[in-house]
Amino acid sequence: MLFCRKWNKGLLVAFLGLVFVAAFIGKAAAQTYEGTIKGVNFQKIPIAVPEFKYMSSEQTQFARDMAQTLANDLDFSGVFRPLDPKGFVEDPQAMGLNAPEIQFPNWKRIGADYLVRGSYQVQGSSVRMEGRLFDVVGQKMIKGKVYDGDIRSWRSMVHDLADEILLALTGERGVFDTKIAYVQSTGNGKEIFYCDFDGSNPVQVTRDNSIALSPNWSRDMSQLAYVSYKDGAPKIYSANVQTGAQTLICNYPGTNISPAWRPGRSELAVTMTKDGNPDIFLVSSSGQILQKLVHGWSINVSPDWSPDGRKLAYVSNESGNPQVYVLDVGSGQKKRITFSGNYNTSPAWSPKGDWIAYSGVAGGNHNIFITRAEGGETKQLTSGGGNNESPSWSPDGRMIAFSSTRQGGPAIWALLVDGTGIKRLTRQGGSQELPDWSARLSR
Amino acid sequence: MRKTMGRVVGVLLVVLLIGITGACSKKQVPSQPGMSGATPGAYGPGAGGPGGMDDARWRELGITTEAEKREFLEKAQAFENQDIYFDYDAYTLTQPAQKVLDEKLAFLKRYPKVKVTVEGHCDERGTTEYNMALGERRANAAYQYLANAGLQGVKLASISFGKERPLATGHDEASWAKNRRAHFAINY
Repeated sequence: MLFCRKWNKGLLVAFLGLVFVAAFIGKAAAQTYEGTIKGVNFQKIPIAVPEFKYMSSEQTQFARDMAQTLANDLDFSGVFRPLDPKGFVEDPQAMGLNAPEIQFPNWKRIGADYLVRGSYQVQGSSVRMEGRLFDVVGQKMIKGKVYDGDIRSWRSMVHDLADEILLALTGERGVFDTKIAYVQSTGNGKEIFYCDFDGSNPVQVTRDNSIALSPNWSRDMSQLAYVSYKDGAPKIYSANVQTGAQTLICNYPGTNISPAWRPGRSELAVTMTKDGNPDIFLVSSSGQILQKLVHGWSINVSPDWSPDGRKLAYVSNESGNPQVYVLDVGSGQKKRITFSGNYNTSPAWSPKGDWIAYSGVAGGNHNIFITRAEGGETKQLTSGGGNNESPSWSPDGRMIAFSSTRQGGPAIWALLVDGTGIKRLTRQGGSQELPDWSARLSR
Repeated sequence: MRKTMGRVVGVLLVVLLIGITGACSKKQVPSQPGMSGATPGAYGPGAGGPGGMDDARWRELGITTEAEKREFLEKAQAFENQDIYFDYDAYTLTQPAQKVLDEKLAFLKRYPKVKVTVEGHCDERGTTEYNMALGERRANAAYQYLANAGLQGVKLASISFGKERPLATGHDEASWAKNRRAHFAINY
């Protein structure tokens, strides 16, 4: 609490709505929490999200649904601690929407640093939703935003509002419009699915009736590259997420696996055995070989690009067992970055480029680790709960999704980068594995 | 549970294929899910059992009499039933594995016109993608051993299934040891 208030005195960034397309209500100054989740002793920001106020008598159930969804989003971010509505004193349908009409001492008394005041008006099939973020101590509005749209899209309006709140208070948007692709077991096969950031709304992408593996989002979220056995040998395909249309990318003799779209270019790093050894190649989006990146007698697999697309983390067993290496594509120099343990795989580069997450065997099980991209400092994030594998960063770098058997069959879980806030995302039947967290939708 | 289901479905499909082809008489065919679980016949005509073989194919193999057919089917069954096994995270051929491969060579010398796919498999531990590559190495090690013997006419292929097609579904060393294998499938 005190910790948080201290940050309030930090940077006051003037903020004139450059980022937003939608209408602003009022001007705002955004307070930035510097290094929000980097601090070990970080305390979550207490925030009150009372029911939204309905401005017409239609669809009053959204009053609670919208507030609940917003509170869930803010909670998910790991930055906020939404307060229990049971403690709220003011009647959300009676209280006002403007600062002078809000009894801030009531909210301060229950420990809220911030208050989100929402309202909405339904007209036929459309809705106008409005959200305002108030600084309880300063007794002023920090940000407001109005949304107009189809009533069916109310959830994405709320997700966007949550993103705006995160942006206003931390200087960075959330991930509430992102998706997580994964492999879902289906009877005798495996197919590619994706879901919302929180595991909800699963959507099936492939219907190959085969084994599909290793989904990888293109940066614009329009394509998912993946591996399928549908034509016998494992080959690399790309599926259009909207239409389901599939394109064959790599169809070389032998094994074609582990696709990774290169940031900023229509190219992929892949592992192929066409030359008799699992080597890593750079290929075009149509599968044309542009460059052989990593080769030798050893296994070279699971490439993952640095955010600038200049370096490649990958797994090689050239030391005798699988370890994570980094290749500088320009110079061709490679460097081993994991040294502890004898089974370190599935590297995933953080969105800011400073860390590489991976899965390593420790204590008899696979666990999630992060290590400095240049090597050095290493932190173990999971322990004592089944196998934890295939890490994938959220695009804001705050969270890591992974597959875990800590509660029975493999499911997708996520945790905060400081190792706290572990939560299960998928609860579908069967197993869910190999998560790949998308970038944010471009705005 | 999922793996058990997959196994059951795989076995059922193999059984179904045998049932359809109807030419396996009473012989027990190994319960190798192989490709049959996902895409039956992916390896070309007749894949999945010898039942699809016509007279021309038998002649191609140099087999004309019923006795020769029976002998071939028996040996083919033994050929497919015997896998070779690997140590954890390894793809070097052990002495017992080489002995089994020598037996395979004897069969292939006797029937040089058969087509064989070497499947590499891994146990459930470890990463999907690394295991795909490891399975490829295992298949390749066996493939090279057979190919280096200078067989004339034998068509060899290899494929890795990583940890996607386990034979044993337990989560212990006994099951893992059974799954770290190369399997040899005849493409009839």
